[in-house]
Amino acid sequence: MILDKKDKKSDATLLQITKAVLSAFMGIRRKSDHESDAAMLKPAQVIIGGLIGGALFVISVWLLVKLIVS
Amino acid sequence: MAAVHGDAHGHGHDDHHPTGIMRWITTTNHKDIGSMYLWFSLAMFFVGGTLAMGIRAELYQPGIQILEPELFNQFTTLHGLIMVFGAIMPAFVGFANWQIPMMIGAPDMAFARMNNWSFWLLPVAASLLVVSFFVPGGAAAGGWTFYPPLSTQGGLGVDMMIFAVHILGASSIMGSINIITTILNMRAPGMTLMKMPLFVWTWLITAYLLVLVMPVLAGVVTMLLTDRHFGTSFFNAAGGGDPVLFQHIFWFFGHPEVYIMILPSFGIVSEVIPTFSRKPLFGYSSMVYATASIAILSCVVWAHHMFTAGMPVVGQLFFMYATMLIAVPTGVKVFNWTATMWRGSMTFETPMLFAIGFIFLFVIGGFSGVICAIVPIDIQVQDTYYVIAHFHYVLVSGSLFALFAGAYYWLPKWTGNMYNETLGKWHFWLSMFFFNLTFFVQHFLGLAGMPRRIPDYALQFADFNKISSLGAFGFGLTQVLFVYIVINCIRSGEKSPEKPWDGATTLEWTHLPTPAPYHSFETPPVVK
Repeated sequence: MILDKKDKKSDATLLQITKAVLSAFMGIRRKSDHESDAAMLKPAQVIIGGLIGGALFVISVWLLVKLIVS
Repeated sequence: MAAVHGDAHGHGHDDHHPTGIMRWITTTNHKDIGSMYLWFSLAMFFVGGTLAMGIRAELYQPGIQILEPELFNQFTTLHGLIMVFGAIMPAFVGFANWQIPMMIGAPDMAFARMNNWSFWLLPVAASLLVVSFFVPGGAAAGGWTFYPPLSTQGGLGVDMMIFAVHILGASSIMGSINIITTILNMRAPGMTLMKMPLFVWTWLITAYLLVLVMPVLAGVVTMLLTDRHFGTSFFNAAGGGDPVLFQHIFWFFGHPEVYIMILPSFGIVSEVIPTFSRKPLFGYSSMVYATASIAILSCVVWAHHMFTAGMPVVGQLFFMYATMLIAVPTGVKVFNWTATMWRGSMTFETPMLFAIGFIFLFVIGGFSGVICAIVPIDIQVQDTYYVIAHFHYVLVSGSLFALFAGAYYWLPKWTGNMYNETLGKWHFWLSMFFFNLTFFVQHFLGLAGMPRRIPDYALQFADFNKISSLGAFGFGLTQVLFVYIVINCIRSGEKSPEKPWDGATTLEWTHLPTPAPYHSFETPPVVK
């Protein structure tokens, strides 16, 4: 039973993880999407996705600033 | 059968725990420890409040009347330290101790003995802070942020403060580890992460933030200590160090600290608003995501506290943009609370009044925060009363109002008695009136250029300062009413119905009697 669940959870695509993390950064998520996240994503995927998302956020703000001051 | 066995077991414990003072010294019960945290924080709130009254009495009119400048500096420093570390933070840990096990269906906190230890460290730290007023040279006087060189120059009081901060940090880290472990390992069957009440979620994220930043604070005060006594020069330019390094390290702790004090308030408000609107929380998962997102962003905005310390323009713009972006998930939360109330069957008991007051005034504090985040404006208003007004709107009408909302909401569950609703409403409206009288005018003072942490001021600031001081005295007196309401509720309040709030849906209201028994959920409930 638990194994089945785990197998099912590993189906998440990179796109799904990215969508979940980006919507988390906004703080907005549609309920149906959230439910499919809960069924498909593993906590480790979300945490690693969040850390990468955080790093990308910092880099993109920094690049924007560089662009403005250049 | 299991339930009967559980009850018998519970009675056994009830009969054998020590009584009198030993009950409180040796207790490992989450409810006892929660109560001690709450009483401790209330006591510290009045100590910090007394210092605030001293500050406002001195500022009532221009000139030096009551406090010598040196003592005035000690008052502002210890007011900040005691309110942040002694009142607001322990109060939230008190709520966590009482509520988290009951809300997730656990019998107690994961590390019950460590829980006792993390509480009993607090009175030691608080004593160090209070006693430091009476040592030669007096208490620390370099502001609650204890920037060097002021904090490397002070006397014994600064060392006592450093030691107190170490102890408070250790207590917070232990408390956080306990909360994280409890939430991750001790939830009732069926209580998945995404079914947890929002108060539990906000505390889980807050606890991670605490574990992340408290060691940073411990590190920076240790560096300060070695600079003071062991010949290092971390923050001393003459020895090759840099005082601005202190500010960076301090605020890497300090900014997440702001969110440590506000995220659990979001949690409390997210419990109270749905209950009194009789509707489920609008956008539950958005609220969880927004909380996580605020926590992550809070770690990359620290230097907005030091725009005037000297920073390349790239740094100024980066921290300005990142800070302004935090307003997005915070705005999502405010939208969700408003949407929860929209077309709900609302009633306005005291907890709901404080929760709505929270939303209204926290938004003002949030907006003035965005204003301070804009570099050119910040350069004008930094170190003025505008900043004082801003962060008191966040911490008093934000954190403190949410604490009052939570206290009135859960008092019936904790004590088995109802508080006096009429007096509760008086407490709210008087707090609301006097709070705004105290702090709204400080926006004007700040924009006109009145500097913070100075006991005297130019004549043109006199009228607004008088208004602000009158407001502060009124606000202070109003809080005595709160103590009366709580004691009256415990001693002679009317017996509370089993479920006084018909809209409440969390486990402590639906699965436990009122008052909550000394031992609860020895047999975990099954959550569907």
